Amino acid sequence: MPVKLIDLQHITKRYDDNTVLDDFSLYIRENEFVTLLGPSGCGKTTTLRIIGGFERPDSGTVLFQGKDITDLPPNKRELNTVFQKYALFPHMTIADNIAFGLRIHKKSNDYIKDKISYALKLVNLEGYENRMPDSLSGGQQQRIAIARAIVNEPKVLLLDEPLGALDLKLRQDMQYELIRLKNELGITFVYVTHDQEEALTMSDTIVVMNQGYIQQIGTPTDIYNEPQNAFVADFIVSGIMIRDKLVEILGARFDCVDTGFGENRPVDVVIRPEDIDLVKPEEGTIEGVVTDVIFKGVHYEMCVMSNGFEWIVHSTDCFPVDTHVGIHVDPFDIQIMHKPESEDEKAVAVDE
Amino acid sequence: MKKHRGIKMFYLIVMLIFLYAPILTLMVLSFNASKSRSRWGGFTLDWYISLVEDGGIISAFKTTLILAFLSALIATVLGTAACIGMQTMRRKFRRLILAITNIPMLNADIVTGVSLMLLFIAARMTMGFRTVLLAHITFNIPYVILSVMPRFRQLNRNTYEAALDLGASPLYAFFRITLPDLMPAILSGFLMSFTMSLDDFIITHFTKGAGFDTLSTKIYSEVKKGIKPEIYALSTLMFVAVLLLLWLVNYHPWTRRKNDNGRKKFRSVPGIAAVLVTIICATGLLSGCGSSAAADYNDPNSLFIYNAGEYIDPDLLDEFEDETGINVVYDEFETLEIMYPKVESGAARYDLICPSDYMIEKMRKNDLLKPINIDNIPNLKNIGESYWETARSFDPDNTYAVPYCWGTVGILYNKTMVDEPVDSWSILWDEKYKDQILMQDSVRDAMMVALKLLGYSANTTDEKELREATELLEKQKPLVQAYVVDQVRDKMIGNEAALGVIYSGEAIFTKRENPDLDYVVPKEGSNIWLDCWVMPKNATHVENAEKFLDFLSRPDIAYRNFDYITYSTPNTAARELIPDEDIKNSNIAFPDLTKMSGLETYSFLGEAEDRHLNSLWREVKAY
Repeated sequence: MPVKLIDLQHITKRYDDNTVLDDFSLYIRENEFVTLLGPSGCGKTTTLRIIGGFERPDSGTVLFQGKDITDLPPNKRELNTVFQKYALFPHMTIADNIAFGLRIHKKSNDYIKDKISYALKLVNLEGYENRMPDSLSGGQQQRIAIARAIVNEPKVLLLDEPLGALDLKLRQDMQYELIRLKNELGITFVYVTHDQEEALTMSDTIVVMNQGYIQQIGTPTDIYNEPQNAFVADFIVSGIMIRDKLVEILGARFDCVDTGFGENRPVDVVIRPEDIDLVKPEEGTIEGVVTDVIFKGVHYEMCVMSNGFEWIVHSTDCFPVDTHVGIHVDPFDIQIMHKPESEDEKAVAVDE
Repeated sequence: MKKHRGIKMFYLIVMLIFLYAPILTLMVLSFNASKSRSRWGGFTLDWYISLVEDGGIISAFKTTLILAFLSALIATVLGTAACIGMQTMRRKFRRLILAITNIPMLNADIVTGVSLMLLFIAARMTMGFRTVLLAHITFNIPYVILSVMPRFRQLNRNTYEAALDLGASPLYAFFRITLPDLMPAILSGFLMSFTMSLDDFIITHFTKGAGFDTLSTKIYSEVKKGIKPEIYALSTLMFVAVLLLLWLVNYHPWTRRKNDNGRKKFRSVPGIAAVLVTIICATGLLSGCGSSAAADYNDPNSLFIYNAGEYIDPDLLDEFEDETGINVVYDEFETLEIMYPKVESGAARYDLICPSDYMIEKMRKNDLLKPINIDNIPNLKNIGESYWETARSFDPDNTYAVPYCWGTVGILYNKTMVDEPVDSWSILWDEKYKDQILMQDSVRDAMMVALKLLGYSANTTDEKELREATELLEKQKPLVQAYVVDQVRDKMIGNEAALGVIYSGEAIFTKRENPDLDYVVPKEGSNIWLDCWVMPKNATHVENAEKFLDFLSRPDIAYRNFDYITYSTPNTAARELIPDEDIKNSNIAFPDLTKMSGLETYSFLGEAEDRHLNSLWREVKAY
């Protein structure tokens, strides 16, 4: 079992009256790719900034390799950050940007030169030394920001939604690139995102956060297959558990595989967009009309209105707007969850 | 369509005329050989030449540049530092502070100026370069904040954090990363402050002291005798300089922003402008640093003089300095009403001041004057006895006042436009000359004309007499072309009016320019005014002041001064030196006072009566 590299103990952080983190504890092991996943305002970026040293917690301790670094300023910490908005220094060349940290640490010129070309090679931007940041595309800038961080050989790389501003294709490329980098460099990544897919693709461990609490920790497979509450799955609809293995959604009855929820109990039902099959109206469990179609590159994303509820459907087949369709879902693809009665209960249920 | 285009063109042309006609007029006048504003006397570059030779203007110009540069620089540093502080504040508090720093910008200049003056007086600071610099820094700081703060808000805060993250100390990160990012805003803040400082008149006016003038205060102080054509030349040069700077900033190829990828961008247009400004100022600094040095009243070898604008031959000051080795600090006031509070409050200290009769009386009554020991000034024997006698009307024992210049108020008329002999104020009420009459826009002079015509004293406080005079002036109003001050001279030279009320000193000058003009003191009597040198109570360079008065009263010096300023001199020995018999015996310059009746000096009537007269005058003008 690898050692705890970073250990956050009972962290609390408030801004004015707003509690962002409440008695938050988490540890990160060496060589792990940890993703903090959650909607905006859930405290994931604050957590990252506390690890980076840009925010000081109101209470609690941050340990790094067993040493207390809670009050250590960012320039004294052995970790580097890649910011959401790249944060390249606009008046410096790419080479000067990358060399910034090395120069501060008084490395020799030869060493710096080697490191720059090594880092540029690593991010596939050889020959860009003398360019200015604003002559680069967003993806290129982001890769330079990563290069600038890794030349300092940090023990941990903190990434704050680094791909948020990129388009889909570029984002996917960068995801592979980050996985490759992590494997090549052998450093710990702490990654913040609100994008489930991104988290599932890259992480060793996913930490699902909401309103300053951890809702679930697990491998991507765990999180995908057994979401423990409504937030984890984005796509939920209210239903009533008629009896074991039968659930009523929007007036239609669906077969499912879950048991033990009692009879005629309100529940939340999770159905992922890719698990919905669109069929002819008479073949489906419930009917609907396509109201919107967007081509997403690999698949189509369609909105289907059915009894006043808008289903989001991912499919490689396209159904034009205004088509009457039937909706069919395999029993295995339907997940039933207890309906939490309030936000607090949701959180408490997870903490236990 | 076509018709519409015509209207558009017409509108454009009207707009352009509206915008540029004033500047064009000024530029044309700067090449006008005649001193008159209304007559073209041929093309000349003389004013430009004499501008360069005019030490006063050049030194004011340098002072202005140095002041603008220093105040902008200091304000930029302070303002930027303030922005950094404000940036780290909580949102609510930051807004509050930002609002507070913005208020001085919206404040009327006059309020800022007066309050700064009061503060400096309360802090017992001597007015001078230091106080003006402080004042300019004060009003410049909000402009810097206004320019830098938005840029600060736009900054990618992450770049600063990224630098910290890469191991930079906060200070290093600020200077290496944040400051270069802010630079364009800082430079434009600097330029804005620089311009504001160049522009300012009001605040400078209230906070300046002896021997200190910026261009704007210098120009203004000369208004009393009309704006010198050199000022037109100077303004033209300034306009052209600004135009050139604008062109450089906007159109010149090497200041243009290059858009090629990958290369360093030449983006700092304000940067270039700032560099230019710095170069100009550096030249100013190198070529004449001494001129802007604040005068120190405590220097025992100095003499501080406070006089009206254009009221002495400046060569004489240099000559006095050469002769005695005394360092003269010469300062000009615009009107006596502005001079008085400065002297009364002690905000500005002088050794000699040259006010008029009624003001001397007021200063004497308010115990602001020091007796002058006439025995120490042998040349005072050259002053004619009749002038000492006139002075006794406001200085009963000739204790405080030494006569300097005098004159009368009379009618200037154009002989080709007025065919009857002029000898009475009543001609100003003659329907024949409707819209041909110019009156002085001054309550005492206007009332004097009416009171004299009615046979009353110019110093009356009798309500019935004042009421009668007011009604008479109201009756005259439809005939009057304009109530003006120094335009009387220019309009009369330009044949724009037939009759005007004017001072005798001006009359000599106008007659020189336009021989058709003549001057008369009406038989009903008039005002005789006498300006004298007085010594304020807190003056310390008494001996130097006595030397100066002795120097000025030397016949050759007094004669040269008369030749320069053309106001009648009370120095009878100097009058004898005038080579031109016409002038020596001129009825205008040297009327025989014994043959004239009804001449009166104005006396100080008291604050309440002054206010009453002013309200009557407003009534006339609103009639």
